[in-house]
Amino acid sequence: MRTSKPLLAAAALALLAASGLKLRLDTVPRQKVPGSSAIYLPAGKFLKAATFGFGSLLADVLFVWAIQYYGDPRIPDKFLRFEHIFSVIAELDPRWIDPYEVAALIALYDARDVGLALKMFELGAAKNPNMWIFPFQAGHYAQLYLKDYALAKSYYRQAMDLPGAPAIARRLFANAAFQTMDLRTAWESWSEIHEAAEDPQIRKIASNHLYRIKAAVDLDRLRHALEKYRGRYGRWPSALDRLAAAGFLEAIPTDFDGRDYVYDPATGEVRTAVIPWKR
Amino acid sequence: MTIAVIARNTFKEAVRDRVLYLLLFFAALAIVLSRVLALLTVGDRAKVVKDVGLASISLFGALMAILIGTGLVYKEIDKRTIFTLISKPIRRSEFLLGKYFGLLLTLAVMTAAMSAIFLVLVFAHTLAWEFRLLIPILFIFLELGLLTAVAILFSSFSTPILSSLYALSFFLIGHFSWSLETLIQKTPPGWGRTALRAVYAVLPDLENFNLKTEFVHGLTVPSSFYVYAPLYALVYTGFVLALAVLVFRRRDFI
Amino acid sequence: MADILELRDVRKAFRQGFLLRSREVLKGISFSVGEGEIFGYLGPNGAGKTSTIKCVLGLLFPDGGTIRIGGRPHLETRAKAGLGFLPENPYFYDYLTAAEFLDFYAQLFGLPKSERRERAARLLGLVGMEKAAGLQLRKFSRGMLQRIGLAQALVNDPSFLILDEPLGGLDPLGRKEIRDIILTLKEDGKTVLFTSHILQDIEMICDRVAILIGGRIHRQGRLADLVSENILFTELTVSGIDPAEVAGLGRSLSAQGGRILLKVFDDVGLESVLDLVRERKGTIHALIPRVQTLEDIFVEAVKNP
Repeated sequence: MRTSKPLLAAAALALLAASGLKLRLDTVPRQKVPGSSAIYLPAGKFLKAATFGFGSLLADVLFVWAIQYYGDPRIPDKFLRFEHIFSVIAELDPRWIDPYEVAALIALYDARDVGLALKMFELGAAKNPNMWIFPFQAGHYAQLYLKDYALAKSYYRQAMDLPGAPAIARRLFANAAFQTMDLRTAWESWSEIHEAAEDPQIRKIASNHLYRIKAAVDLDRLRHALEKYRGRYGRWPSALDRLAAAGFLEAIPTDFDGRDYVYDPATGEVRTAVIPWKR
Repeated sequence: MTIAVIARNTFKEAVRDRVLYLLLFFAALAIVLSRVLALLTVGDRAKVVKDVGLASISLFGALMAILIGTGLVYKEIDKRTIFTLISKPIRRSEFLLGKYFGLLLTLAVMTAAMSAIFLVLVFAHTLAWEFRLLIPILFIFLELGLLTAVAILFSSFSTPILSSLYALSFFLIGHFSWSLETLIQKTPPGWGRTALRAVYAVLPDLENFNLKTEFVHGLTVPSSFYVYAPLYALVYTGFVLALAVLVFRRRDFI
Repeated sequence: MADILELRDVRKAFRQGFLLRSREVLKGISFSVGEGEIFGYLGPNGAGKTSTIKCVLGLLFPDGGTIRIGGRPHLETRAKAGLGFLPENPYFYDYLTAAEFLDFYAQLFGLPKSERRERAARLLGLVGMEKAAGLQLRKFSRGMLQRIGLAQALVNDPSFLILDEPLGGLDPLGRKEIRDIILTLKEDGKTVLFTSHILQDIEMICDRVAILIGGRIHRQGRLADLVSENILFTELTVSGIDPAEVAGLGRSLSAQGGRILLKVFDDVGLESVLDLVRERKGTIHALIPRVQTLEDIFVEAVKNP
């Protein structure tokens, strides 16, 4: 009964096997969040280590607390630690979408700081590089509240290629490109949308945009040529084809639908024959 | 056979012990409390319910395993009930394993009860029976099995308070051992690093049974994980139990 | 007569705390218990009686010596199959009822359910506890625990019983009942080893005894061999004589109300006292010759170890 050698051997063997299994398990890639500890405060990192696997629970508690905290109008300086608090929550449970969005809403409506809201979305995007919602939302914020189409354009570009991104992201991107007068990009994007669209409604919208872009380009060229013509002859040409005859343009462009642009020889003005949206 | 008889009696003991119901009551309270937290949050309430529920099951399960497990063998020796048992044709290993499986049975019933409350609460939020949430609970139970073995190991040679402290340290170290990896990476290569690596391999890694986050967020878990993690739990538990038997059968009962 | 239990030079020392000084509690114990006898293992508190029994049962591991039960090494599980044990001041799972408790122990011997029920009922009857069958052990008095403990020891119908202080904590009536049970067991052909520090109870039922003092067996053997038949002294109670007259004949212990209690040590002295009483027309109230008892040996042994 007291001969312990077999059991001792078994125990040693089990420990060896357990160690081996542990090292094997370490090679199983569990979905962990990339760079979760790289950028942000050591406090968040420390907190995560101190939760012994209950990080997401602590994130819940912190988030609930933060909502109460920012809901209280009597605290004047509460936004001083805004970024810190939400970055700690992000550190504890980086995949949780709600805190980022709620933080952005608080930053926008309560702190009236669009830049801060954008930071929250960027934090979300950094923790979850595969989620389209963060750059998409950031694009919205930049477009609506900053009227910064260049910034919006870059956010939409980030969002539109991510898995699961809605089709409207590409359209918003194309629109933002048009607004910043990046007509080549806008043309290319709308063409893609136009070709890929299955919904006739969207196809129509895309073609309207293409019409508008082409009109903008064409009218610009026509006006340029008209100015040159007047510079040489001291008067507006009697018709647009005079510009080609005089060598200012190779050919007279027509609009997206093949119609001629409307020209008024009295004032030298050119415009589209139809309103692009009522085409 | 003998093991089963002792296990059944241990289960009966636990069931008739009032401490257990107190713990179960608090566990139920904590799970229900997740509902309150969910009310206070903004956004996905079911997520908070799942987080708090799973955490409660894990924490209270660990508490039960440690508090009951460390008193189990000590009480037998202290109250001298073990004298008549050992005088029967029983091996000491049978006695110890009987105690272990009895407590494991108790924990299984308790975990099942907590899971039922939890699933009902999740159902109240999502209107769907999310039975896949039983998988992380199953892994929690694997961890409890290991923790119970550790509690019994310590209780076979130490007092309940000390054993509880030891078992608690095991729990903390188990959830912390990954941090040793950072230290290893900072250590210059050499025998020191090798020694650290050996310590790292031997130390338990209870994070291997922590699938809470993955399942709350619906992430995919590699299928090899489902093979190796339970195997790891079984082998490590076997090791601890073998150690406990080794200690226990050399021990004098004064 | 085959030996049911045999101890040879059993030694055990306890280490005290972290200081490595150890205290030897058993200093080479050797004795054997033959089949069918009642063996009394006697000694004052702290002599090592319980430690010896724990060694036999495998609760303690002796540092040296051998123990055999029924010819087998005592740590074999088979050696314990025919063994019953009642510990000192027994304490059992107090959350079980008496019936559940006996059933649990019977299960350890792999008895089928019907037999377990029948046996539990019979044993509860034997120890006079039928009424307490459904009562939780936490509500038991000490005497009741002693009885249920005895029932527990008999659950496997053992051929060899070890009882540690079976009469401790019992009132005189309870002691008599347990004593009767032990005698019944002997009639059934069972062997009984029991320890005690109360000697009156034992003298009447033991076949052989061993006296343990300070971790050593002081004396052992048949009761008749240990205790001589010689009269040690005679106690006399007389009246009607002058106490001064008998002063030289024996030791006068008391003289109250005209009655004199005398202790007389030899036959000549006794004769002289009786003659004197007759001469003075006095009365003899009592004449008690005292032979040597176990207690005398015991007291003597403790005094001169």
